[in-house]
Amino acid sequence: MRNLWNVTIKDMLIVGKDRGAWIFLLITPLIVITVASFALGPAFEGGSIEAELLLADEDGGAVSSGLVEAFRKNENVVVVDAGRGECEALEKDGQEYEVALVIPAGFSGAVEAGGRAELEVFVDPNSNITRPFLVSVIQGTASRLSAVEVAAKVSVLEVMKVAPGADAAAVAGTAAAAAASELEDEPVQAAISNVGGVEDLNPFDTQAPGYSVMFMLFGVMTAAEGLLLERESGTLGRLLVAPVSRASILGGKLLAQFAIAILQITLLFTVGHFVFGMNLGNSIAGLALMIVVTAWTATAFGILLASMVKTRRQLSAVGILSVLLMSALGGSWWPLDIVPEFMRQLGHLTINAWALDGLNDLILRGKGLDAVLPEAGVLLAYGAVCFIIGIRMFRFRSVS
Amino acid sequence: MAVTPPEIDDMPDPIVIADNLEKRFDGLTAVDGVSFTIREGQIFGLLGPNGAGKSTTISMLSTYLRPTAGDASIDGLSIGREADAIKKIIGVVPQDIALYPTLTAMQNLRFYGKIYGLGGSHLESRCRELLELMELWERRDDRVEEFSGGMKRRVNMAAGLLHHPRFLLLDEPTVGVDPQSREHIFETIFRIRDSGTTILYTSHYMEEVELLCDFITIIDRGRVIAAGTLRELLKILGEGGVIELEIAGGECPGGLTARLEGHASVTAVKQEKNRLLISSDNSAHSLPPVMRELEAAGCEVASLELYSPNLEKLFIHLTGRELRE
Ligand SMILES: Nc1ncnc2c1ncn2[C@@H]1O[C@H](COP(=O)(O)OP(=O)(O)OP(=O)(O)O)[C@@H](O)[C@H]1O
Ligand SMILES: [Mg+2]
Repeated sequence: MRNLWNVTIKDMLIVGKDRGAWIFLLITPLIVITVASFALGPAFEGGSIEAELLLADEDGGAVSSGLVEAFRKNENVVVVDAGRGECEALEKDGQEYEVALVIPAGFSGAVEAGGRAELEVFVDPNSNITRPFLVSVIQGTASRLSAVEVAAKVSVLEVMKVAPGADAAAVAGTAAAAAASELEDEPVQAAISNVGGVEDLNPFDTQAPGYSVMFMLFGVMTAAEGLLLERESGTLGRLLVAPVSRASILGGKLLAQFAIAILQITLLFTVGHFVFGMNLGNSIAGLALMIVVTAWTATAFGILLASMVKTRRQLSAVGILSVLLMSALGGSWWPLDIVPEFMRQLGHLTINAWALDGLNDLILRGKGLDAVLPEAGVLLAYGAVCFIIGIRMFRFRSVS
Repeated sequence: MAVTPPEIDDMPDPIVIADNLEKRFDGLTAVDGVSFTIREGQIFGLLGPNGAGKSTTISMLSTYLRPTAGDASIDGLSIGREADAIKKIIGVVPQDIALYPTLTAMQNLRFYGKIYGLGGSHLESRCRELLELMELWERRDDRVEEFSGGMKRRVNMAAGLLHHPRFLLLDEPTVGVDPQSREHIFETIFRIRDSGTTILYTSHYMEEVELLCDFITIIDRGRVIAAGTLRELLKILGEGGVIELEIAGGECPGGLTARLEGHASVTAVKQEKNRLLISSDNSAHSLPPVMRELEAAGCEVASLELYSPNLEKLFIHLTGRELRE
């Protein structure tokens, strides 16, 4: 039991030191949620924010122009054209603007080539009235580019499975276009059809739970990868010849993952509430219960994933596909209220659907703890089944 | 570094007994009936080429793999039935670095120390002691991923030493290490031995085993092909040295080997194609009669080499193959 705790502490330490993991667990979801919420508009309509953005486009390519266009279209952003010198000067004190964006030369080329493309953002360190807003708009708009790309890749993967001869580039193009239009259209429709009757609804309320559950699942997927990495790199084997039981090793790792998943979604909701005015409903106990049982089910799903594959490569293929499928079917991207009945039933095979039924009851409909007990019960049982199958099937030694 | 292993007069007690260990992976017998005895305080060398079965043997002794047949005991505990008790008294330094790359040297050692039941100020001082021994104390707060290969090896080794194991299994701890680090690792191994730990050391470098080990077992293709102290092993080649000859133009005539063996000072003759390995009590004495025999047989000598016996030559003598292929 003491060793279980030692393993947990070690894993938390590893994740704690991993800046990339935190960006993935917290920043990425915040950006995506922000973008999805902005797509809905109403929250920032009525001139609630009007922020000036200094912008230098040194690239002038197709992608950068699209990006500039996107900023100009944003009603809450006033684009002020500038040169690099002015933008860089922002870092010094006493400037009129708070945020400047430089799109460096070669940006469009890098995005099109699927490489690493970077934007340069300069901020005035001494003033932050519009800074958080502008930075999130920049991150959100830019992340949309990569989100579209991810969706395209997954579609290609699927198509390649059924038809190895298919023209991957052509499919990717079509898929990216489809994904892009989906990103723009779907959430708008979805949210509008869902908001009837609820007053003062913040788009964050409708978007944050769905994306948070999706990113929690992505989070446990990386944790499952961490487990396989331990197996592949030999540290798991090293632990097997040390005086620590298998139950402690696995239990410790799962406990760490469980705690991280709870922390992740709690932080997302906290930021949503205090920064973006997200409504958290009327029952903190109900919310806490839903967060804990969802984290439990996600963690159990992670060990199930890890036990079904042999390598990390397989895990990312199976993992990304299943998380995206579950998110689409389970209502993470649009409410299940708008899909046909049989799709709604199919959707309830996923963790997302049950978690969101509960979370939406609390957040959108203002219900209490009692209302979410059935969903919590289903998730507990769902997690237990995944957990039992997962720990039984997991192989501690590499499969050669 | 001229370190001669101490002579063992009265034999210390056995601590490890391997009895016909066998491990089959489907279709392949990696370890094929290996037996040996390791005595308290020894540095026991397991020498063999790549794929000989060294790591597989270590994996069975450390309870990671279950033998297909045979058994072994460590300090009277059976590896099959008393694995949990064995894990507490052995230290394992695996061939592949088993550290968490993003944690610091200190964090890695602290974690492994806790797993072995250490804690508090004792754990801290033990970590410090070992990092100082490994000359890495200044780098204690750096991530292991920023270390060189040799530095990682040293931390990997420290992780196996934290709990003062009675029996330490070192699987090729010098692979990919520069000569300086290697020297340092050797010194450390002698120090650990002097503090009372018995050591199993595997390597495919004969020089290392010659230098370090009190007792050497050579394995090849899963089988023990020779075992003894360095002196005993080299005696197989003859005390006086080896004459290696290459005959010009194809094979040596039949019967030549037997005639060479007839000479009093020659202890053994091994022939592969046009190569002759002649072991003798005294190569200088044996050389003239050997040359006369060759002349009488009408063989022309293409090359000639005289050397004192070593494990590399012994391996060729026993298997007809080089140790490093
Ligand atoms: N898990 C396994 N599954 C199948 N075959 C294996 C496995 N582990 C080892 N082998 C095989 O067993 C044989 C012995 O391997 P082992 O690792 O014990 O050799 P070694 O003496 O340690 O070699 P090296 O010096 O390269 O480390 C090899 O042929 C290897 O391919
Ligand atoms: Mg090996």
